[in-house]
Amino acid sequence: MTDQPTPASESAVVIGADVTHWRHRHLLDVDTLTFDEIDLVMRTTDAMKEILARPIAKVPALRGRAVTILFYEASTRTRVSFEVAAKNLSADVVNIAASASSVTKGESLVDTIRTVQALGAQMLVMRHGTSGAPYLAAEHFNGNVLNGGDGWHAHPTQALLDLYTMRGRLPGGSLRGRKVVILGDVLHSRVARSNIWSLTAAGADLWLCGPSTLLRGLDAWAGRAGGFPGHGRFTVTSDVDAALRDADVVMALRIQKERMDSGLLPSLREYTQRFGLTLERLAGARPDAIVMHPGPMNEGVEIDPAVVALDRAVITDQVTNGVAVRMALLYLLAGVHAEETADGA
Amino acid sequence: MAPEERKAGRSAGRARAAGTVGTVVGDLEISRAWLVDPYAGREGPGDIVVERGVITAVTWLTGAAAKGIGPDGVVVAPGFIDLHAHLREPGFEDAETVATGLAAAAHGGFTRVCAMPNTSPATDDAGVVGRVRSAAAASGSPVALDVIGAVTVGRAGERLAALGEMADAGVVGFSDDGAPVKSPVLMAHALRYAGMLGRPIVEHAEESALTAGAEAHEGLVAAVLGLRGWPAAAEESAVARDLALLAQVVRDVPGARLHLTHLSTAAALDLVRHAKAAALPVTCDVTPHHLALTDEWVAGARRWAWEAVDADGAARDPWTDGALVAGPYDPACRVNPPLRDPVDAAAVRAALRDGTADAVVTDHAPHTVVDKEVEFGLAANGISGIETALGVLLAAVDAGELTLPGAIVSLTAGPARLLGLWAGRPAPAGLVEGAPADLVVFDRGERWTVTREALRSRGKNTPLAGRDLPGRVLLTVAAGRVAFTDLE
Repeated sequence: MTDQPTPASESAVVIGADVTHWRHRHLLDVDTLTFDEIDLVMRTTDAMKEILARPIAKVPALRGRAVTILFYEASTRTRVSFEVAAKNLSADVVNIAASASSVTKGESLVDTIRTVQALGAQMLVMRHGTSGAPYLAAEHFNGNVLNGGDGWHAHPTQALLDLYTMRGRLPGGSLRGRKVVILGDVLHSRVARSNIWSLTAAGADLWLCGPSTLLRGLDAWAGRAGGFPGHGRFTVTSDVDAALRDADVVMALRIQKERMDSGLLPSLREYTQRFGLTLERLAGARPDAIVMHPGPMNEGVEIDPAVVALDRAVITDQVTNGVAVRMALLYLLAGVHAEETADGA
Repeated sequence: MAPEERKAGRSAGRARAAGTVGTVVGDLEISRAWLVDPYAGREGPGDIVVERGVITAVTWLTGAAAKGIGPDGVVVAPGFIDLHAHLREPGFEDAETVATGLAAAAHGGFTRVCAMPNTSPATDDAGVVGRVRSAAAASGSPVALDVIGAVTVGRAGERLAALGEMADAGVVGFSDDGAPVKSPVLMAHALRYAGMLGRPIVEHAEESALTAGAEAHEGLVAAVLGLRGWPAAAEESAVARDLALLAQVVRDVPGARLHLTHLSTAAALDLVRHAKAAALPVTCDVTPHHLALTDEWVAGARRWAWEAVDADGAARDPWTDGALVAGPYDPACRVNPPLRDPVDAAAVRAALRDGTADAVVTDHAPHTVVDKEVEFGLAANGISGIETALGVLLAAVDAGELTLPGAIVSLTAGPARLLGLWAGRPAPAGLVEGAPADLVVFDRGERWTVTREALRSRGKNTPLAGRDLPGRVLLTVAAGRVAFTDLE
């Protein structure tokens, strides 16, 4: 493969975005990205969107590059999104659905990572049910690791596609001063945790709203003395009307049935009554407020079908933008090798 | 290092004559060192001579002779006592054996170690107690081994273990450590029965319903890292329960005694403070890691706990003040109870200063790579800590958080007093003429790096890996014999 052009050298021709400032070998969360780096992801995503608009949405940027998608949790949309993104860039994709049983049989993550590497993987997209697992993988993998979601901790590509979608829809393309509400089960949500970093960095007025049992511990974070790059604070509340008042963006999160079994909620019915995103509740937000959901949705539980049907519900945009963002990230990471990493690994 | 201290270091170097591990100390002279003897309640400059395993001369220097000798150089103290260590034998010899555990203890300056019963099989009858003792005898180590027996059969929390037979076999207390005695009914019975035998229940206080699946101290770090919160209330409610049961039991069994081990939260220590003021027969201990490390370490901070609070004593924010220097989710930082926040750690140090905490224990918990170097949420709990305890306490002394005699008391007279209460053990003689030499010599002016190679324990699981610690141990003498020597 040595005679093949590197993605970086092809970039000038194919992609058009300036990737020379990208220095991260892995994408484990968005907390290590500067505002400029997030901006670079956004601009690279623009270029990818152009490619997706072509009759044949395929470029040779990652030709010959071996991408392994290793998912320890069942997932359709994220896994397929990564797979489509990698294939659009002409990468060779291997999918591994690692079951929990391989863990119980004593197959360690480190051993699996070494095996995947020995089989030729150069980029690893990973989802794992345990918070922090991709950090362990990154310590042992010679190539690039993309976190496709770990436990309750992070889902960086989702946060970046959410940001991209908001920037595309908001007048002026900026989040600065915009009120963004994340509504629902924040406690168990890696989507919310990653969005806290990227949205506060982008200058949004972020509100996290849900039943108190599903906001556990978040107050400690919101009340920190310091701030993030950008500005800092966010608001945590169970007052859904206050949260939605004059909001520019409302993102509902999925409520899982098992939350009732563990005593966190009396019933789904009561959740829907008090926190479900209905047209009536949404009326408190700005008239042009956009509605988002990372999926999968329980329509009629956390979000009313009438809300999903609104033109300003951008849930399918999130899905298409997801492919473009993941193409951008695969492309950017592929240009960074072990010897030039800024991630210290 | 001042020339005088250098001289003291060289003088200690004459202990070459002390010989190799296991042999009786033939002829040892340590001159111009700083002697700390908590048993006599005395510290200062002095010379000490050991012949044929016995201290034959202790000379406290005064006036011109003492000039230039300070507590910053070579220190001689009575051997340390660890009331709480996991030596893993029988059953988990890939993590540690009694022999490697005692070698690690000696490297840490300890001359007496209490082995916890979470072995396989559990140390729940006199037979297993005998096996552990035989392993210690076979190791050839002069470090004394005491055994703590299980409270319940197999530590399963269902029936009382053979407490009487184990007491006859010489165990110093009973504990299901690693887990609490879950049933309050059984806990009350255990306090009563052990009280009859004149032995304590050494309780790992944890309301396990509150910690099911828990990964890290519930607070800022757990919230940001998406780790399942391990609430302080789990420890505090268990301590409150145990104290209430003790108050009940002690009315008709005056010998009943409760010892709460590795307390880690401010409120739990407050409960003990009040119980002691009410004259309940309760004691407790704390660990070096809970007084010096915090949950910030899970996020990648590597500063001491006392550096993680601002001038008002409030916890600082490692995300905004540049304290995150390592990667997050290092499983070496996973321990039970979890590393708490900087305010709790400050309360642990305060409890040590005001006597609420009676001793420092290491909770030495060696683990294999297979059990430890995995995903944070799946990693075994525990820190291999018997070799780093002194260095961590000395770091606290250097920072003005503890005094040197205070730190040494917590490793000597503190635990010795508890062994007296628990099992009628007479206190060691200390640094006095005619006593068998049982002492540690360390150089406060010399730092050492915590590496896999430097650790004698099979368990290399320490968050302090790569760190320099003050106070290299030069020599440990247990019962007149060399237990550890690092003299050139």
